Amino acid sequence: MRHHHLLLRCRAMPLLPLPPRTLRVSGGLVHHRLIRCHGMPIPRRTPGVSGGRLFASLPLPPPLQSPREVHVWYLCPDELNNQSQLNMYEELLSPSEREYADSMKATMLRKDVVLSRALLRTTLSRYTGCKIDPRSFEFKKNKFGKPEVLWPLDDSTAEQPLHFNISHTTSLIACGIAINAHIGIDVEEKKRNTTKNILSLARRYFTPSEVDSLAEISDSDAQRKEFLKLWTLKEAYVKALGMGFSGAPFSTFSIMLETSKGIRISKTSNASRPGYDHLSENWLFTLAELNSSHYMSVCIEDSSRSQGPEDSPAPVGLKVWKTVPFVEDTLVSGTEAVKLIA
Amino acid sequence: QPRRSIRPMPRPRAKPGPRYKTAPLTSFDAHPTLLLLLSVLPPRPPPPPPTHPHRAGLSPLSRLPHGLRRRFRRLLRQRPVKTINANSVSFSAPRKDNVSFRLQPVPQRFSVRCAAKKETVEKVCDIVKSQLALADDTVVSGSSTFADLGADSLDTVEIVMGLEEAFGISVEESSAQTIATVEDAANLIDSLVAN
Repeated sequence: MRHHHLLLRCRAMPLLPLPPRTLRVSGGLVHHRLIRCHGMPIPRRTPGVSGGRLFASLPLPPPLQSPREVHVWYLCPDELNNQSQLNMYEELLSPSEREYADSMKATMLRKDVVLSRALLRTTLSRYTGCKIDPRSFEFKKNKFGKPEVLWPLDDSTAEQPLHFNISHTTSLIACGIAINAHIGIDVEEKKRNTTKNILSLARRYFTPSEVDSLAEISDSDAQRKEFLKLWTLKEAYVKALGMGFSGAPFSTFSIMLETSKGIRISKTSNASRPGYDHLSENWLFTLAELNSSHYMSVCIEDSSRSQGPEDSPAPVGLKVWKTVPFVEDTLVSGTEAVKLIA
Repeated sequence: QPRRSIRPMPRPRAKPGPRYKTAPLTSFDAHPTLLLLLSVLPPRPPPPPPTHPHRAGLSPLSRLPHGLRRRFRRLLRQRPVKTINANSVSFSAPRKDNVSFRLQPVPQRFSVRCAAKKETVEKVCDIVKSQLALADDTVVSGSSTFADLGADSLDTVEIVMGLEEAFGISVEESSAQTIATVEDAANLIDSLVAN
C-alpha cells in the first residue's frame, strides 16, 4: 500500500491533488486513512479535470461595484445531461444536501436540487476570488427558513457579506448575488398557464388596485403575462424580505409597474394591521425578460439615504451570465437575451 | 413509634398543587412496591409550601400529606418491612393488589395531531394531482411533500385556492405556510371544517 502524508480534508484548505485510491482490503473491511479520518466518502476521480484544483478553473467575475449592483448567474437543467459533469457537481454538495437530493424520488427533481446547490456554491466561490472552495460553504437558515451564508469568523469577506437568493423553474435555475444588500429573485416561464382563472387568483391574492389594472387588459394572453410579471415581482420582494409568505402576504402591498420612477411598491391599508410593520418600501426592483422565455424579477434593499422626493433612484445595475459551471460562462446582459422591462 | 401530637390533626382539604412529595430514597427502609411507585412518579413538582412544624417528624413518611400517609401505612401493614440494601434492590413486578391507586401514564407535553380523515387526505391528493398534472401512476400519499411533487409557489397557492373552494374554507397565509405535506393540508382542512 502506498503511503502518503496524511491529507486532512480540511474544508478550509485548498485542495491538493487527490490521493491515489488504493484501498487495502482485509477481512472485508476497507481500511483507508481518509475514511477513518472524516467519515467522508472518497470522491470519485473527476474525469476531464486534472488534479484537484477544480474550483480554480472558475473564471473570476467582475467585482460587484456597489450595493445597487446585482449579478445573476443562471443555468438550464435541460441542457446539462452529461452524467460525469453531474457527478462532478454532486461532489460539491455537503452531506446534508446530498441527503436531501437523495430523498427526492423523481430524478428530474433530484437533478434540479443538485444543480441548484452546485450553482450556488460555485457562484459564491467566484465572488470570494476563488479563495473559498465551493465545498466549504456552510449555510444557516434564518427563523423563517431563508438560507444565508454562514461565514467563518476570521474571513475578511464577512465585512462585506455576499447575499444570495435562488429561484428555480423546470427549465431555468437562477442565482442572484448582491453585496451588502438583501436580495430576492424570482423566475417564471412566460408561457406558464394557471389552472385557475387569472382574475380569480388575483382577487384572492392580490390587492384591489392590482386587480383593477389586470381587469383593464382585454387580451387574455396579455393579462396572463401581466399577472406573471406581478407575481414574480411580489415573490422577489417576499424572498428578499426573508420572512416567508405569511410575513408579507401578497394582499398587503401593491406593485406598480408603470410609474415614472420605475417599479414602485406601496403598502396597502391592509398592512396597517399590527404584525406588518416590517413591510418597508425602500426596495429596488428590476424586471427583465430572459431569452424571450422567462420573466425574471430581482429585488434588492435600497440602502441609499440620498433619496429625496425628486430624485429618482438610480436603476439597479443588472448583469446576467448564463453558466455551465467549470465549462463555460456567457455574459448575456446587454444582448438580446436580456430585455429589461422596467 | 410515630410521634403523636396532643392537638387533633386538622384534616387538610384537597388543595391544588403537589399531592405528594418525592421522598429521598437513600435513607429509607421501604417496601419494594413503594420504591417502584416513587421511581415512576412524574418529575419533581415545584417547591412545596413550608411544612407544618409538628409534621417535621423523624420518619420521612410523616412528612407526606395525610391521605397519602394513611395509604402507605395500610400498605406497610400488609407485609413485614424488610431492611433492604438500597444498592441491590430487586423486586418482582407489582401485582394489581399491591398498588392501591392506579398510576396514570405521564401525559405527553407536546400535542400529537390525530391523523386526518382518510377521505380528506384522498380528496387533497386528487386536487394536488390535478393541479400539478401528475401522471396517473404517480403515487401521492399523506406523507408526500409538495416540494417532492415539484410544486412551486404558484402551484402551491393554486392548490390552496382549490382546497378552499372544494371544502368551503378560508386558509390564512400563516397557516398555509406551515403546510409541508399532504397530511398537513388535510389536518388543517379538518380543523377548519370542524370550527
